[in-house]
Amino acid sequence: MDGRREDDRLARDQEEILRDPYEVLGVDRTASSAELQKAYRKLAKALHPDLNPGDKSAEDKFKEVGAAYELLSDTEKRARFDSGEIDASGAERPQRRYYRDFATGDDGHPYTSASGFADFADTNDALAELLRRAQHARANRQGQDLHYGMSIDFVEWNTGASKRLTLPDGSTLDVTIPPGFIEGQTLRLKGKGAPGFGTGGPGDALIEVEVLPDPRFAREGDNILLEMPISLAEAVLGGEIRVPTPAGEVIMSVPRGSNTGTTLRLKGKGAPRRGGGSGDELVKLKIILPRAPDPELEAFVSNWAKGKAFNPREGVSP
Amino acid sequence: MTMSKQEFLQSAGIDTQTVEFWLEQQWLLPEPTPAGPSFSDREIARARFIVDLKSTFQVNDEAIDVILHLVDQIHGLRYAIAQLRSCIPRPSAESSRDGNR
Repeated sequence: MDGRREDDRLARDQEEILRDPYEVLGVDRTASSAELQKAYRKLAKALHPDLNPGDKSAEDKFKEVGAAYELLSDTEKRARFDSGEIDASGAERPQRRYYRDFATGDDGHPYTSASGFADFADTNDALAELLRRAQHARANRQGQDLHYGMSIDFVEWNTGASKRLTLPDGSTLDVTIPPGFIEGQTLRLKGKGAPGFGTGGPGDALIEVEVLPDPRFAREGDNILLEMPISLAEAVLGGEIRVPTPAGEVIMSVPRGSNTGTTLRLKGKGAPRRGGGSGDELVKLKIILPRAPDPELEAFVSNWAKGKAFNPREGVSP
Repeated sequence: MTMSKQEFLQSAGIDTQTVEFWLEQQWLLPEPTPAGPSFSDREIARARFIVDLKSTFQVNDEAIDVILHLVDQIHGLRYAIAQLRSCIPRPSAESSRDGNR
């Protein structure tokens, strides 16, 4: 029974392919080539499968119209057909896959637009939720943001730095860290993330920058702390000393009569501050005696009556 | 099947200048890869559709923009309808008998 049904179908297909091409195009046998073209265009526009994505029969009809036009638009073939030398099947076209066959699949692809129903998806019901899912599956999505981490040292932090980051896939990314970059902030490199979907464009690269501690400096908020050794002579008489800062060395004046624990402030030499400016560098002085005992110093101190009379532990211990 | 731009040009029967213009217009959106855009059968089918619009239907470039946008919306809607349909429970044989009663 199935065999007979198959035969019927084949016979029907045959019959359809062999329909009179003039009849297919709806023109007289005397139609001019301009009339043929006009009739063909009108039908093709109406029947193109990609303009009728939901009409399964459009493809066969479109093919039939195309075949009829191909036969009749060729003067020689048309003459042979008119004289009965060839039949309408001579102009059959090869199989073709239409765009609509690729456009309705389940996999997301970049062309389909959700702008025909985005407003329905914007409401607050169960239907909207389903539509939103369809919207997300089909929308031109921006590529994912990719996260990276890198570290800079204190000096780079203050002066700014250009660093090259090697990504897992072997490619590289040049990262410019501006001077005064705020620690904990993430650098965003536009368009350096994963490639997007369709017109969505690539995502961004987000780079978390860690500032490595520097053994010379301690941190206290925006301020950085430095313990600076000075000699007894510098402490007593004052003088100029060279002090390291993250931005390089500076000359600092040590006032006369400075002590261990005296803290001097170098304004604006600290860490960059959110909202502009920088913290300060606090230089804490520490008197260091000469490494080897010095007879001259010993002799001076043993004869130094005022020095002996001074009790540095007043109020601390009796 | 994916292919390079050169293979795509051969399969779709269009020239480099044409495809560059189409890419610029975003009529074709091949998948970006580190080795350059990767074209698929979908791009070929879409290219043939554009060729039909231009050559057979004599549609100008401005109108192709509009047509593709509308066609893409139709596919978006068709997909949304398909999604909705898949969520609606189909009536079982029993319940449809009940309905006929």
